[in-house]
Amino acid sequence: MSEAAPKSVLALRERTPLPPALVLAIFFHLVIFAAAFYLPRLLDRPPPMRKPIIAKLVALGKPRDKSLLPRKESPPPAAAAAPVAAPGGKAAPSTAHVPTRRELMERALAHAAGRAASEEKPDEERAGQKTGSPQGTAESSEAGDVYFTAVHDAILENYVVPSVISERERLYLSATVLAYIGGDGRILRHDLQKKSGNPFFDQALETAIRRAKLPPPPPELARSLRDNGVVLNFKP
Amino acid sequence: MMILLAILLAADRPVIDLSGGRIQAYPLALARPLGAQETAAVQSVLQADFDRSGIFKLLDPASFLAPASEGLTQIDYSKWMAIGAQGLVKMSCEAAAEVKCDLRLYDVPRAQELLHGSYSAPRAGVRQIAHRFGDDVVKFFTQEPGVFQTRMAYVRESESGKQIVVADSDGFGPQALTGASINLLPSWAPDGKTIAFTSFRDGAGAHLYTVDVTSKQVRPLVTTGDFATGASYAPDGLRFLFSSSLEDNTDVYLSQNDGSGRRRLTDSRGIDISGAWSPDAKRIAFISDRAGTPQIYTMAADGSDVRRLTFQGNYNQEPAWSPKGDLIAFSGRDEHRIFDLYTVNVESGKVTRLTQNQGTNEKPSWSPNGRYVVFSSTRGGKRQLWMTAFDGSNQRQITSEHVGASDPAWGPLPAK
Repeated sequence: MSEAAPKSVLALRERTPLPPALVLAIFFHLVIFAAAFYLPRLLDRPPPMRKPIIAKLVALGKPRDKSLLPRKESPPPAAAAAPVAAPGGKAAPSTAHVPTRRELMERALAHAAGRAASEEKPDEERAGQKTGSPQGTAESSEAGDVYFTAVHDAILENYVVPSVISERERLYLSATVLAYIGGDGRILRHDLQKKSGNPFFDQALETAIRRAKLPPPPPELARSLRDNGVVLNFKP
Repeated sequence: MMILLAILLAADRPVIDLSGGRIQAYPLALARPLGAQETAAVQSVLQADFDRSGIFKLLDPASFLAPASEGLTQIDYSKWMAIGAQGLVKMSCEAAAEVKCDLRLYDVPRAQELLHGSYSAPRAGVRQIAHRFGDDVVKFFTQEPGVFQTRMAYVRESESGKQIVVADSDGFGPQALTGASINLLPSWAPDGKTIAFTSFRDGAGAHLYTVDVTSKQVRPLVTTGDFATGASYAPDGLRFLFSSSLEDNTDVYLSQNDGSGRRRLTDSRGIDISGAWSPDAKRIAFISDRAGTPQIYTMAADGSDVRRLTFQGNYNQEPAWSPKGDLIAFSGRDEHRIFDLYTVNVESGKVTRLTQNQGTNEKPSWSPNGRYVVFSSTRGGKRQLWMTAFDGSNQRQITSEHVGASDPAWGPLPAK
């Protein structure tokens, strides 16, 4: 006669796997919640980013003979506006405004437009924008390109790299910032996602972001820029 | 799934690449000196060093808001921040048999001390205290050695001749090492103890000599042949290049540092002169007119693998290889028949102009950290030494010799 060994209470309880139906139910609930949260954002995504067009204005002159030693590059032209005398006879502060690339482009286009206007009459039937240029070729512009170019220029205007960073180090420095932009153009917050390793460089780009005055984003980008932000890759 | 969605969202963020920020000198305030009156002398030298460096923008003391009584360590950063200071230097000295100075560098936006040094020197050497602290500051920021403590050799021109002179890198304290016969083209040995130069002192043409910087003792180096000129020491100091017509034509020769074991490196129908070592001693830049006009060429250290480097201009001379290895500075004659300074990128061959429309500019010599070039210029009337940053910015006069100064050679970093 044999007597079975006593089993513990825990051992007596057999493990019962979750019914497959319950697992499926949990999974589908998760999917539904996730879809409810993310689908509106996915469907409301901004158009794919296009890189801002970087253009250089070439100085007026004739091409230099390539067999000659080079000349020094001319400094950019001084701002045309003379300092305005403030009320009370005091001169306005002499902080020279450095024109942004956009301003230079606009000046050049305005200059070119003035010359073109005297040469030929524009086609009155041509579709375009009231703020467009006589040299333009497209009916409309893409809001994404224009806005991100404006962001680029606004930050670049305040982007000052201190000379204490050696030119050799400048070759390798880079940092990434994630910036969230409010509906009024204010930078709501920014995260330094990848530091450069040089505190003076990191400080310089934080200053550039803090001082930049961005225009309000177009409505179709506003939500994405507020919630998802924009990635800013800095190099000296 | 949610993680996947989050990754997808992150990947779709717009990206803006920003580069080409304006390079701006670092705004630095030198606070009013504290302690003994020697502090003012230290500050004066330090101010000139920082100003010449082009790295710092010194703030006008008239704009300072902090009280003169502000101590060395109790700092009201908001008052310095208000005037735009990023860095702040405080100093205090005590003078007895020797001068002891406490110098500190602060980061104003972060309100923290970056550097703190105690320096001492005999009363006659207070300038060295400033130079040492200045070099420490430059090293702290740029991770490159500063050059305020270095010296320069050059040729002092006088009514009676040309003598080899050594002075501090700011032109202070010139000391003649030779008499006033015709002495030219000084070249430092890498240990900074001797200088080779070309001289007509023996009355039999130009030959090479060395002079001990401390004892001023002159020794012959190469005195054979019609002429031997333009010594240039290898970075190891064991060999030197020179130009000579030992074998009928003028070529670049290599010799042991005692003048023995001479070997011809170039062999062309043209004139080959002005050999200059690359910092790794693997290649040599030189001037040759083998293609019709003087141009810069490079060759391997054994004379093989000759390559032409410059193709612009019709009279390029005096190559000097940057200690960083990337650029060769030279003087070239432009279409107005005026010599100016240029650099050529060793890899790309791109030529960049450093001087323009400011007299004749010749004989470039690099600072040991590769950041500056010293040269001679007639822009002020008399030929004097000037220095510039490697990109042609921040040009400053170094010497004020009565008749003139030429042929500069920037000395090595001081031994530690």
